[in-house]
Amino acid sequence: MTAAAEHYACLYAREFPAQALLRMRPRSMDSACAVMDGDPPMQTVCAVNARARALGVEHGMTQVEVETFPDVTVFTRSRSEEDSAKSALLECAGCFSPRIELFGAGNIFTCVIDIAGTTMLFGPPAALAHNLQARVRALGIEAVVAVSSNFHAAVALAQSLSPHQPVQVVAAGDESAALSGLPLTVLDLDPEQAETFSLWGIETLGMLSALPEKNLVARMGQAGKRLRQLARGELPHLFRPVEPRFSLSERMELDSPVELLDSLLFVVGVILEQLIVRANARIVALSAVTITLQLEGGAAHARTVRPAVPTNNKQLWVRLLRLDLDAHPPLAAVLAVALDAEPGTTSKVQLGLFSPQLPEPSRLDVTLARIRAIVGEENVGRAVLLDSNAPDAFKLESFSVPSGDTENEAPAQLRGAARQLRPAENITVMLEAAKPARFSFRGQSYTAERAYGPWLANGDWWQPTLWGYEQWDLVARAADGAVLCCCAQRDLMHGGWQMAALYD
Amino acid sequence: MTERYIELRAASAFSFLEGGSQPEALIERAVELEMPAIAIADRNGFYGAARFHTSGQRNGVRAHIGAEIAVSSFGQRLAPPAWLPHQHKPEPARIPLLCESQTGYRNLCQLITQFKIRETTSAIPEFMWSEANALKSTRPTGSRRHGTNPERIQLLRNRRKQEGAANFSDLEQYASGLVCLTGADEGPLAAALMRGGEEAGRKTVEQLTRIFGRNNVYVELQRHSEREQEWRNQAAIGIARSLKLPIVATNGVRYAAAQDREILDLFTAIRNHVEIDSAGRLLAVNSSRHLRAPREMIALFRDVPGATENTIELSSRLGFQLSDLGYEFPRYPVPDGETMLSFLRKQVVEGVERRYGPKRDCGLKERAKKQVEHELVLIAKLGFEGYFLIVWDIIQFCKRKGILVQGRGSAANSAVCYALEITAIDPVGMELLFERFLSESRGEWPDIDLDLPSETQREQAIQYVYQRYGELGAAMTANVICYRGKSAAREVGKALGFDEETLGRLSSLVSQWEWRGATDTMAHSFGHAGFDVRHPRIAKYLDLCMRIQDLPRHLGQHSGGMVICQGQLNHVVPLERASMPGRTVVQWDKEDCADLGIIKVDLLGLGMMAVLKDCLELIPAHYGERVDLAQLPEDDEIYGTMRKADTVGMFQIESRAQMASLPRNNPERFYDLVVQVAIIRPGPIVGQMMHPYMRRRQGREVVTYPHPSLEPVLKRTLGVPLFQEQLLRIAMIVANFTGSEAEELRRAVGMRRSWERMKNLESKLRSGMTANGMDTKTQDQIVQQISSFALYGFPESHAASFALIAYASAYFKVKYLAAFTCAILNNQPMGFYSPAVLVKDAQRHGLRVKPIDIQVSDWECTVEHELDGALTMRLGLGYAKGLRKHAAEALIAARREGGNFRSAGDLASRVPELNRRELTLLARIGALNQIDGVANRRDALWQVEWAGRPEGPLLQQPGSALREEDPSLPLAQMTTEERLVADYAGTGLTVGRHPMHYRRAELRAQGILSSDDLRRCRDGAFVRAAGCVIARQRPGTAKGFIFISMEDETGIANVIVTPDVYERNRLIVTRSKFLMVEGALQNQDGVIHVKASKLMPLAHAVVDVRSHDFH
Repeated sequence: MTAAAEHYACLYAREFPAQALLRMRPRSMDSACAVMDGDPPMQTVCAVNARARALGVEHGMTQVEVETFPDVTVFTRSRSEEDSAKSALLECAGCFSPRIELFGAGNIFTCVIDIAGTTMLFGPPAALAHNLQARVRALGIEAVVAVSSNFHAAVALAQSLSPHQPVQVVAAGDESAALSGLPLTVLDLDPEQAETFSLWGIETLGMLSALPEKNLVARMGQAGKRLRQLARGELPHLFRPVEPRFSLSERMELDSPVELLDSLLFVVGVILEQLIVRANARIVALSAVTITLQLEGGAAHARTVRPAVPTNNKQLWVRLLRLDLDAHPPLAAVLAVALDAEPGTTSKVQLGLFSPQLPEPSRLDVTLARIRAIVGEENVGRAVLLDSNAPDAFKLESFSVPSGDTENEAPAQLRGAARQLRPAENITVMLEAAKPARFSFRGQSYTAERAYGPWLANGDWWQPTLWGYEQWDLVARAADGAVLCCCAQRDLMHGGWQMAALYD
Repeated sequence: MTERYIELRAASAFSFLEGGSQPEALIERAVELEMPAIAIADRNGFYGAARFHTSGQRNGVRAHIGAEIAVSSFGQRLAPPAWLPHQHKPEPARIPLLCESQTGYRNLCQLITQFKIRETTSAIPEFMWSEANALKSTRPTGSRRHGTNPERIQLLRNRRKQEGAANFSDLEQYASGLVCLTGADEGPLAAALMRGGEEAGRKTVEQLTRIFGRNNVYVELQRHSEREQEWRNQAAIGIARSLKLPIVATNGVRYAAAQDREILDLFTAIRNHVEIDSAGRLLAVNSSRHLRAPREMIALFRDVPGATENTIELSSRLGFQLSDLGYEFPRYPVPDGETMLSFLRKQVVEGVERRYGPKRDCGLKERAKKQVEHELVLIAKLGFEGYFLIVWDIIQFCKRKGILVQGRGSAANSAVCYALEITAIDPVGMELLFERFLSESRGEWPDIDLDLPSETQREQAIQYVYQRYGELGAAMTANVICYRGKSAAREVGKALGFDEETLGRLSSLVSQWEWRGATDTMAHSFGHAGFDVRHPRIAKYLDLCMRIQDLPRHLGQHSGGMVICQGQLNHVVPLERASMPGRTVVQWDKEDCADLGIIKVDLLGLGMMAVLKDCLELIPAHYGERVDLAQLPEDDEIYGTMRKADTVGMFQIESRAQMASLPRNNPERFYDLVVQVAIIRPGPIVGQMMHPYMRRRQGREVVTYPHPSLEPVLKRTLGVPLFQEQLLRIAMIVANFTGSEAEELRRAVGMRRSWERMKNLESKLRSGMTANGMDTKTQDQIVQQISSFALYGFPESHAASFALIAYASAYFKVKYLAAFTCAILNNQPMGFYSPAVLVKDAQRHGLRVKPIDIQVSDWECTVEHELDGALTMRLGLGYAKGLRKHAAEALIAARREGGNFRSAGDLASRVPELNRRELTLLARIGALNQIDGVANRRDALWQVEWAGRPEGPLLQQPGSALREEDPSLPLAQMTTEERLVADYAGTGLTVGRHPMHYRRAELRAQGILSSDDLRRCRDGAFVRAAGCVIARQRPGTAKGFIFISMEDETGIANVIVTPDVYERNRLIVTRSKFLMVEGALQNQDGVIHVKASKLMPLAHAVVDVRSHDFH
């Protein structure tokens, strides 16, 4: 039995970030466009279209440099649009063969399609290539297609093609000749190899393939042999087709609009069961579930629930989703439900034999969800001080299992306790000799008997978020004789007094 | 002034990254606040004290001197508690110590020295960084010693270490005469209070009183509007009361004005190697640590009785001023029965015989004797005999060791220096003026600079001085490394979180030209680097870069300035360890030392001295002729070469400006060369002296004198005053000034700020001239001349010393080209041109330069004898870029031992030190072409790629089937262009034809001329020329004009680029390696320039050549 003849088509699209953006913006296609990547203010050009290139816009230029060119439209790189474009291209390629290998990174899209045995379906390779290229073009992407019976030869040839000659088909056995004129840059050489070939005066694949194999191996080892085979179009390739992504998503259109949460949760329970079965099959647990409700009137209502530990407990999930939807109910009747789950590991947390008994994770999650529903998502967790001089610098971290380290011991000595008011409450202050003398707080008027301060703090002067406060510790007496020990604070940036804390 | 408060705690930027203002800024602020005195206390040293004191003196502010000393015995300084997130690194607590008396100052100097010296290995990070930086800056790429530098720099970096600290026993040893404050946040009291409350705080203060005495400890309070600090203050007040100690208020000043807190925060981020965004609690809480007005401080401490009043009391106690250093120059040990003067006299008398005997001129000798007598009387009167003997001693050491040495600067005015062989110029024969060197009224030490062949031999002389005067008796002067455009851009950018690549791009664009036009601002550099200066963060970046310009970054070591002291130098200024073992450095730079009257000897490295020394060895060895530097004959052939401006490689007269003036000045004898060396300098050019002299020299202008009595003084320079000595003589003649008065006048004019002194002297000068019957017009003319050139004039003696070296270099180049070229290539980098240009110039003068050949080449370049008797030069292996010296030495040793290499494999096996990269390099530059069986460079590359891979035992067996048998060469020979690329990439030069040669036909077809063609064009013709850029210069005196030198196979052409053409072609001018220029030709007096109206990069030039760009 003879092996089936191999045949590969390489689909290759340059300046992919720009093409991905422009395909959705046909109006911009006729103007010079550049795509910037990076964090502001140091973004640089990562892709351009032909018009921009013709103007002289190059990769790596900064915003200011791009602005020196007239009429260049600048876009910010969008990974999500690139992902959708990539999906569209793969889908398009998938119409010709289910076996597709995807590779390439940066600003180039490359995929190779195994088209062996498709002649009966799509005609000879040349027809298929033209067909593929035309379909891709219809998607708004300029790509080239090279077909060869050698995988690597197809990839190398695709890199040499231009929009003027977007398709090339090389007959079996002709690879070496077809490749011989290509520059070495089409091979993925490491810098050392590139330098060696440059020193040897080897510039094309033809020159490389003419080197005696044994001598080349003596000098460059097996890598030399591999490169020579690549240059001759003889290197075999183990095809690694793209696997369909494992996704835990289910969607259900409801027969009639549902308004009651209980009815909805019944449907959700069914969908969850499906998801859990699929997750169990892969020995994973659900770590997060996003419920998206299609509402009457076209709006969508999406919520994500993420317990502390991944779980496949359907009852728990239903309870968590219920709590969340109780707190954030949909504003209209529900037409359709979609559940997208993230897979997570089912590992268990090992606690010490003598560690205090912790509540069961699932029960804790439910409790936390209840609390979140009451006080708000962002107000639940562990308060952690930040390394900053700003008076109110802290953040909330989600709860985690304690590590047992007690490096941050609480101060040994006794300190005065202050109750920080969050948020600080506005007060009206009268000054005398630049010190607070009288103020009104929570409807009560106070006279400051003693004022300590001002305590000044300011910072972040190098950024727009600069801040500055002046604080006074006051011992004040109300008209009824009540004494109030407090900390009044003035915002030096925006003006205005606030009560920051009360002392016990 | 009604409020009474004196700031006793100010740290300047010399607390290196812990202070945000210059010492001068603190003094200026004190003047504004009408503060009569202020104390400086920088971290662990007196680094800024000298400048603080000098500025204080100038402004009438008493400068108290102190330092903040880290004391490890007190434990760690205050840091936020562990439960607060912070990044404070543990550091010892620091106590501020103020000098009450000279004893206190000396003790503090010794205390600092003691713990600084304990930092055993080359401990001071700053010094090593500086040396590392110096190594980088003195060795531009293309240096043939490239192999050593990165390693050295890395070594220095690896050896960074923590700063040292004192302990109780040090404090006890050196406590007397010092007043101690308890310190604030960084002090031991604050740390103890936080650690163990008031009880621990009291114990700490008691410890201080035990060490310094009850009367010398003040409890310090600072109020920076911080809650925690006030708690500590209340505890401190309690402790002070219980121990009955005085309280003193300070503001712990770290910057002069409140807004400079930003600089301090920035420095904090840099010091802690964190980005400012994540510096958190390391940064200041607020902006209170500026120099506050007395009124403010009194209001702040109204509730603490005595706190501000005590600052006045303490200030009045601090009687020490830095002018009272107690410095004494060392005495020279003389034989029994001799005094220093008698011994010096003996040496001088012998020297006069030795120097003037061979001249066979009795009159001259008599005059010399008279002159040395005059000088000796003055030397004795001023007590400088020890100094002369010490310098003489260094000269004697150099002579014994065969080290070429020559004094430069004003010392050449002294017949005593000439007799002692310190200098090589005969001041009597040349009628130089001694008073320029030494005068009675100057009240400062003479300054003798010695030029030594660079690197090792200079190091030998330095080590000799250390050995002779001891580790604590001699030290190098420091060199303050300050923030400049590039360093500021890099460090601020890093602190603000910009990435390395962006910073690299920016620093490469920060203008480094000497001349800065309106568009050469930092803002423009930011713009060119692609930064949007409208973005707030980038605007802040730019702002901070500008504000930290000239602030000190760290302390470095001056390359050759040494200070020597009688007894212990560490009583006068703190010493620190330098990177080299046994070497110490003082905490002041040479200007500070000069300001405080500390004498120094500069042992400078001069590359050309090394070249001359090499020539003195090469010439007898290869030409069979003996040459004596002191007796080089005056030869018109040498002057003829200079007149043609054919001076590439010649000392001091090779620059573009020198070449442009040589044909006009037409040197014919030695004195013309002295003038030539002096005239092409910023001073004479700015003072508009250059052109009058040139016109007179060419006979286009009549030689006149401001007054007939000045003819003898100005005759040699055709009536145009060029030298400082002439200024002195003019004043002596026209206004009857004494020598020392005249010198005072010169210095008064030289110091721009001393207007008052200048006015007094000017009126004295005018009254003298009136007494001598000069009319007002002449007087005005003379006064104008004096004021214009005194600022920039050059000492004649210095010019003469340099002219001597210039003549010697010219003589050797013209007469012994092979030896000279070999010597100059062996001492790179030096001078104006790169080795590539020097080689091409030598080739144009008929020298055959042969390429590197592993069968012949040594590490250095060598002179070879051809069969026909001709001398040629062989490039050394040192020119192979990337070849490590020890590998090259192994290669040479293997060749000497086992004869020539027989194959690439033979080379690889006999010299295992050569790695594959080095073998490839040697093959690439053609150094293996002489091996049997190597056909060409590609063949060599093919072979070494195989030979360079170690093979296993299986392949090593003879007759193995796997051994390479195929002798065929699969690679094509290199093309001419590839060979050129390989030459420039591998050695930075080519011994083959000039790259322009290969394009000549094509260029000629386009009407583009060679530099030789330009010489035949008439003045004003419109020409097109092209060449390889070898030098770009934008002198500070040229108003933004840029001068480019372009080389081709026929010679060098000069291009002038006007500022507007530069603006339009900025990148082409600064980046292009091969250039095409269009414009009008200026051909005047044999000086040829193309005034560029259009510039273009020459297309398809692939060779990577390097130009020397002068900034």
